[in-house]
Amino acid sequence: MAREFKLPDVGEGVAEGEIVDWLVSEGDTVAEDQPVAEVETDKAVVEVPSPVNGTVRTLHFDAGDVVPVGDVIVTFDVEGEAPEEESDEEAEAAEETAEPATESASKSATEKASTRTFAPPSVRRLARELDVDLDSVEGTGPSGRVTEGDVRAAAEGDTTEPQDEPPEEDREVAEPAGEQAAEHTGGAGGQEPAGREKTLAAPATRGLAKELGVDIDDVPAVEERDGEAFVTAEAVQEYAEGGVAAQGAPEAGAPQREFVEGGETTQPYRGVRRTIGEQMAESKYTAPHVTHHDTAVIDDLVETRAKLKERAAEQDVKLTYLPFVIKAVVAGLEEYPVLNSELREEAGEIALKQDYNIGIAVATDHGLMVPVVKHADQKSIVELAEEVNELAAKARDRSISREEMQGGTFTITNFGAVGGEYATPIINYPETAILGLGAIDERPVAEDGEVRAAQTLPLSVSIDHRVIDGAEVGRFTNYVMERLTDPELLLLE
Amino acid sequence: MVVGDVSTGTDVAVVGGGPGGYVAAIRAAQIGLDTTLVEMDAYGGTCLNYGCIPSKAMITATDVAHGAANAEEMGVYADPEVDVGEMVEWKDGVVDQLTGGVEKLCKANGVNLMEGRAEFAGGDRLRVVHGGEGQGSESIEFEHCIVATGSRPIEIPGFEFDGEHVLSSRQALAMDDVPESMVVVGAGYIGMEISTVLAKLGVDVTVVEMLDEMLAGYPEDLTRPVESRAEALGIEVEYGLAADSWEETDDGIVVTAEDGDGNTESFETEQVLVAVGREPVTDTLNLDAIDLEPNEDGRLETDRQARTDVENVFAIGDVAPGPMLAHKASKEGQVAAEVAAGEPAALDYQAVPAAVFTDPEIATVGLTEDEAREEGFEPAVGKFPFSASGRALTTGDSEGFVRVVADEESGFLLGAQIVGPEASELVAELGLAIEMGATLEDVASTIHTHPTLAEATMEACEHALGHAIHTLNR
Repeated sequence: MAREFKLPDVGEGVAEGEIVDWLVSEGDTVAEDQPVAEVETDKAVVEVPSPVNGTVRTLHFDAGDVVPVGDVIVTFDVEGEAPEEESDEEAEAAEETAEPATESASKSATEKASTRTFAPPSVRRLARELDVDLDSVEGTGPSGRVTEGDVRAAAEGDTTEPQDEPPEEDREVAEPAGEQAAEHTGGAGGQEPAGREKTLAAPATRGLAKELGVDIDDVPAVEERDGEAFVTAEAVQEYAEGGVAAQGAPEAGAPQREFVEGGETTQPYRGVRRTIGEQMAESKYTAPHVTHHDTAVIDDLVETRAKLKERAAEQDVKLTYLPFVIKAVVAGLEEYPVLNSELREEAGEIALKQDYNIGIAVATDHGLMVPVVKHADQKSIVELAEEVNELAAKARDRSISREEMQGGTFTITNFGAVGGEYATPIINYPETAILGLGAIDERPVAEDGEVRAAQTLPLSVSIDHRVIDGAEVGRFTNYVMERLTDPELLLLE
Repeated sequence: MVVGDVSTGTDVAVVGGGPGGYVAAIRAAQIGLDTTLVEMDAYGGTCLNYGCIPSKAMITATDVAHGAANAEEMGVYADPEVDVGEMVEWKDGVVDQLTGGVEKLCKANGVNLMEGRAEFAGGDRLRVVHGGEGQGSESIEFEHCIVATGSRPIEIPGFEFDGEHVLSSRQALAMDDVPESMVVVGAGYIGMEISTVLAKLGVDVTVVEMLDEMLAGYPEDLTRPVESRAEALGIEVEYGLAADSWEETDDGIVVTAEDGDGNTESFETEQVLVAVGREPVTDTLNLDAIDLEPNEDGRLETDRQARTDVENVFAIGDVAPGPMLAHKASKEGQVAAEVAAGEPAALDYQAVPAAVFTDPEIATVGLTEDEAREEGFEPAVGKFPFSASGRALTTGDSEGFVRVVADEESGFLLGAQIVGPEASELVAELGLAIEMGATLEDVASTIHTHPTLAEATMEACEHALGHAIHTLNR
């Protein structure tokens, strides 16, 4: 019997994944749990195991394709069962087709319960109207039933993507109505033909387009319905008149780009890169950033670390400066808890976190990842060093789990690793503050009327100015710097 | 275009005026689309003219007679005299009222009605051939076309419908008198519904069925009461026999049937009714003109928006995949019309109910216990027998039960199976419950009118929860 295997939810609430590589070919024999594909989600690359013993009949996508969770990716012939479903055609032909068995037989036996989303018809329709993928909405109704409010919240948060749609980069039409659309209402007056292949419009609108000699596929869309561009009569009229195109259509506002001679190469904007992009944009446009800069003189820390480095090496631990910085930061957060917080606008509250979970931004080949050292306040410098090294390694080889990147309360980013002094770190939203480290280097320091060369560490602390004021971040930074300048103080922590 | 053709334009052309087509046309017109409905025979299609409505009219009429004649238990002694001709006349009156109603509704909603047989003449054009000599044809230019041509009874070799000796279900329901005896080929729902009508009218009925069971596809515990009631009515059911041939004799005809081992059996009868199923009508549409090919079953594959592979052509009802049910066709028609108008409609129902109007009735919706398990649910099942229902006992008909299937963990209703009085009506509540994502608790906690049959649904849900009042818990 054939078994259709759908792309499972490979992480919590992941809506789609890119098939990085097939580990099997059509015709291959596979064992249950044998990895068949590598799938990249917005966080990591995971191997997807075969659910059965059998043979690969069909691979439904190519490597590089982005596949919505729930789409059939492989059809297996299950071992020990006839390759094709037994045909009961004779029996069926002799019987009325109107029987419910026909209906249930058409349901794949492999369809798992988890794929059914319980929601009333009115809510299902609303989801289609708002272009929300119902299956990815978490229901808050009785027994997890999806309610109208859930769908509206999902539409406003726009964290879901309709499964039936092509990946975002292929979309040629406006974002669904709602806040997103408002954000996109940028430039005006663009009259470039949209050049779609498919356009939804009322027949009367099509008639008008014909009358005006306009190709309806060229008219900027005003909205999206069921994943397709939808055009109104007004939009056709405006387009024909060469006036300002309908509102909310990004393509209407997009100026024609002219590329230099020699052309260009493109790379896909998806997976980890897109996740980073989306998070950065959300943070930058939600939290008003203010960045406070200062420099810590850390001759003593350099000395201390050099001494302890050897001792740590005996325990097979590579000791960097980061654990000292974490310690100093945790001390600062204990003293100034507002920097270890989260703003919940809707609830009208600022949550001061009792945990000290420090995210460490790690640059990897495939983009920025932020593993989280949990309960940093309860760990020794050596323990912190060990954990940071382990998490960073996992991030780099992409074996890190989602859990290990969640729950952070404050983030440290070390842009100084590649040199440089100051930068503007973007807050790891919804946290409210982030510390950026510049490169530790000898720099001129004026002391008692003299200038001397000293080991210094430039610090850049960005804060969400809605929650934290300049004076607070200044005091926090001073407190942290004090502990980096005089590492003995860390003994008191 | 054929020379002399008259051409008109329309936003939506609907081919076929059955329960799929006329509903699609009315909805499309309601939304404001210029809509043209082409029907080659009679508005209302098979359902209103030759299927659901006439058969239910006859079932009810014969039930009245049969009920009156068999009510001694209630102290009623009657020997009803049945005039089949008048009964059929009454039935025809009901049909006329409904089909006339369809026509009026279409017109009142602004649907252009056109009579004739439509076929594709291109991606945006239909040719409508009018019946009768010299009537000519005309063309309709459309933006969207909704194919709703329905189905026809399947003929089996050697049993071509002649309306005299060999009848289709349509012909059987149009009889103005009944024969003394009838062989019915096929124990599916049409065969069993008509057999029951005939038996109640005093016809000597023999059902010849190729399979080993009646109403294949329905769980055995649902069909068992129907089987025993059929037996009590004097219907003989011969299983494992395939009707082979027939020939005329001095007294009527002899129908020969063969079993799997090649042994033959013959049945003397006056007429034979062939009810072995229905096939979609897609061969009249000239689908080549739009490069559309039906699948092996003769149906047109469609997506969740009822669209075929040709973007502006929709298929609904019996020509689309799924069970051949009028209510499914109507829903698809609404969706197709809304999609054509650019609305965000889709076919995303959780369950399609089905009813068989045998005696007793059978009705199902959603998943059975086995199907729920196959879909990965851990099912909780509750059952309530009509023998424990006060209302059922007061109707004198207390055979059967209501069974509900739910997801044990969440309590969400997944399916229901009913056999017994008014099963076709009772199933509606459970269909609504499934669509609404109602839980066992929701239905059980809803006060149901006493004394009614509908209490049985509440009790079945209570039973699944382990605290039924009027039946013993598991």
